[in-house]
Amino acid sequence: MSPLDEILRALLKRHLTDAEVYVKRGRSRRLERTPLTETSSTSQERAWAVRAGNRRASFFAAATGDPSPAGPWPEPVAGHSLELPEPEAPAAWNPPSDFDTPLIGEREGLKLLESLGRELESELPRARLLRAVLEDGSSESELASSRGLRSVTRNRVSTLYIEAAGPGRPAPLASLYVAAREPRRFHPTALARRLADRLAVSASGAVPGRDTGDFLLAPSVVARLIAGLTPLLVGPGPGSRLIGARGRFGGDLVTLIDNGRLAGGAFEAPVDGEGVPTREVVLVEEGLFRQPLLAWWQEGAAHGDVSGCTRRPGWRDLPTPGPTHLYLKPEPRTSVASLLGAIPQGYYLIDVTGPGRFDLAGDRFALPVCGFAVQSGRASAPVAGAWLSGGIGAFLKGIAGVGRDLTFHPLDGMIGAPTVLVTGLELRAG
Amino acid sequence: MPLSKLDTAAVARTLSQIAEQPEDVVDAFFERREEVELAPEGDPGALRVWREEGFAVRLAREGRTWLASRDVIEAKPFAEALRQVARAIPSATYPEPALEVPPFEPVAALELLDFPGALSRAVRAHHVGFPLRVTVRRHRRWIQVVGPRLVAGAERESFYSCAVESSWGRYGALLPRLDAAAAEEIAVAAVSLFRARQALPPAAFRGPAVLAPPAVAVLLHEAVAHALEADTLAQGGNPEAAVGVAMAASCLDVLDDPGAAPEGVRRTTDDEGAAVVRRWLLRGGIVEQPLADALWARTSPVLLPGAGRRGTRHLPPGPRSTHLEILPGEATEADLLAGSEEGLFLSEASRGTLDPLSGEFTLAFPYGRRFRRGALAELVGPCILRGRVADLLTRVSAIGLDVRSAGAGWCAKGGQKLPVWATAPALRLDGVEVTP
Repeated sequence: MSPLDEILRALLKRHLTDAEVYVKRGRSRRLERTPLTETSSTSQERAWAVRAGNRRASFFAAATGDPSPAGPWPEPVAGHSLELPEPEAPAAWNPPSDFDTPLIGEREGLKLLESLGRELESELPRARLLRAVLEDGSSESELASSRGLRSVTRNRVSTLYIEAAGPGRPAPLASLYVAAREPRRFHPTALARRLADRLAVSASGAVPGRDTGDFLLAPSVVARLIAGLTPLLVGPGPGSRLIGARGRFGGDLVTLIDNGRLAGGAFEAPVDGEGVPTREVVLVEEGLFRQPLLAWWQEGAAHGDVSGCTRRPGWRDLPTPGPTHLYLKPEPRTSVASLLGAIPQGYYLIDVTGPGRFDLAGDRFALPVCGFAVQSGRASAPVAGAWLSGGIGAFLKGIAGVGRDLTFHPLDGMIGAPTVLVTGLELRAG
Repeated sequence: MPLSKLDTAAVARTLSQIAEQPEDVVDAFFERREEVELAPEGDPGALRVWREEGFAVRLAREGRTWLASRDVIEAKPFAEALRQVARAIPSATYPEPALEVPPFEPVAALELLDFPGALSRAVRAHHVGFPLRVTVRRHRRWIQVVGPRLVAGAERESFYSCAVESSWGRYGALLPRLDAAAAEEIAVAAVSLFRARQALPPAAFRGPAVLAPPAVAVLLHEAVAHALEADTLAQGGNPEAAVGVAMAASCLDVLDDPGAAPEGVRRTTDDEGAAVVRRWLLRGGIVEQPLADALWARTSPVLLPGAGRRGTRHLPPGPRSTHLEILPGEATEADLLAGSEEGLFLSEASRGTLDPLSGEFTLAFPYGRRFRRGALAELVGPCILRGRVADLLTRVSAIGLDVRSAGAGWCAKGGQKLPVWATAPALRLDGVEVTP
């Protein structure tokens, strides 16, 4: 009998008929560089979590080390029932080969961070890195439940956080946070150029007057807007009620997909955090709302199939439904240049400069942005200190063009978007 | 104390083997944590328990730091971690000191089970009733820091956190105890959100604002404590250059004193094992002593260690405040609200942000009240106080004479979530900008 089965048996003896044991092992390396310091950390995690209960009472316990059948287990509290999913075989899936690559070495990682600083300075003289943090980790998780569910999953993910200051006084600040399966997918030149563009625009950009027109939104801006919409797309909440209005959620170019097994995705896995098979789920198809993301226990509460969308970032976390790789479907034949060329008068907004505000009930959003004014398809002047605002419905219905440059951003899960041309929004001073 | 059986002398001897140079900073940080939560009624997994223990070994030399951490307190992983941080080439074999820790005790948290009922009664005592989702959690932490030459005393922290959600917003607080006063504090905040549910945000205005102690604590945490952390100061230049700068009105005295924090979270040493100090951040509005940890203190003789904190063993420590103390003034409540100009009374701040380079600062409030001719008037909805730190803090024109423990909350700078505490009076600021 496996150690996990022994624990399930011990819990059953306590009349806890539904029980689940989750064990996680992980290794990570973290490298941090500031103008004055360098830090290299290595961590090894070893921990577990148990959910157990019945129709009347339940508990959740998690700890470092290895679980023991003897516990000690908390007393289940009445009024909180627990149910667990039935086992279901996932579709065939082969672990990607990069799961086996070793973590980045100390010297290699610090070199990557150093080159980021160099590239930034060559892109924008007198710009400087304030802080760069590279984290690289891999883990294996095992799940067993009293329903007979068994799963073993692996994960490999790297993140890079960069804070930089530009020239001038007060110095403009910009930060970037990106994620990929492996650090070698981070390209210092491209990242430095993105930071330099933002710093240059922030340093020289003028605050616009209130204006409308065509807006070309870079992937990072669109991804933040989609992340703001996720409460509409997860669970039998407000989003599922949109089906009533003839199912119309956005313009014809809006197709939103979530896919827990997206090939090459940072969180690619055959099953979700509760061992339910992941799959591609079309949430919005050509503007029509098809279904929200539904955890197994939400089946029947809204139209649609179970999505395999329960996330479990670590052993401390309770499983919670949410997007894994949620993205706006790109249009492979449309280049960003052609979208820009189609703007007679408007703005090209290249990045988000702070947290946005989303009022889903009031159908309003506001996002701090920077970019360029555009005249006849060409950037005419930098714009900073601006807020893009409007109706959420107006944004979705006003999408007039979708580019092919799909990129993913670590927000609420990985949120992906290409460049988008949109009308019906407003730009104003902050 | 669960960490009392660690053979700290043997750990210190082992650490001394990797401190090859006189200026090396070497330490081992052992921690055990327990959090017990009572989830909102109806949620699965009613009683939730998180227990963890582990250690980190650190070596810092000439601006470079190496850290290795594990989720276990055992001799062999400790020796492995030492090998990872040691700079000896070829890698040496280190002795395995005895690291014995007792198992966790069975979970007992009866006080949590009683609190939602006490809170419900406290709300009803305000003659209102509405559904609340209550999450209450007990936090306990034991730490032991060992250096090659110094073994700090073991430290223990114990406190509670509570979050309530209603249709009108969310309120969260840290509480040293889970008693009737705690229930009343949470009830007042929840009832205030309820009563302000239909209040409209105020139109943008510039004028006086009176901040109640909880809002003052958030303001000074963001605008003084974060601004005076040595690593934040270093982003704009040399941290010691801040000493002597007039940063606020001359009536403002702000200290960080972990030794005067509420019982249960009071500290004698920081998370690096250095003795904590009663640190005057601002004396008469002038910067006196920025917050520094052991490494920053080595960069300048004017920086004192004792403010090193770590949210987790997996990350290196950094300079942070623990318990802010704002010294009282002489203004009564009537003095604070006096004058012919109409203003805003802001009691609770929901969040604050500071741009360390530009000094731009915002503080968000879920609701407030107007005041005119010395009396509180109608409620207003959400609003934001904004400005530059240097300008905002010079606008303090009066300080209340009553101080209270207030404004404790979580701070998550650099991904390290830490509890912070404060004792503060009310403040009046004149000519500040408030926007909806």
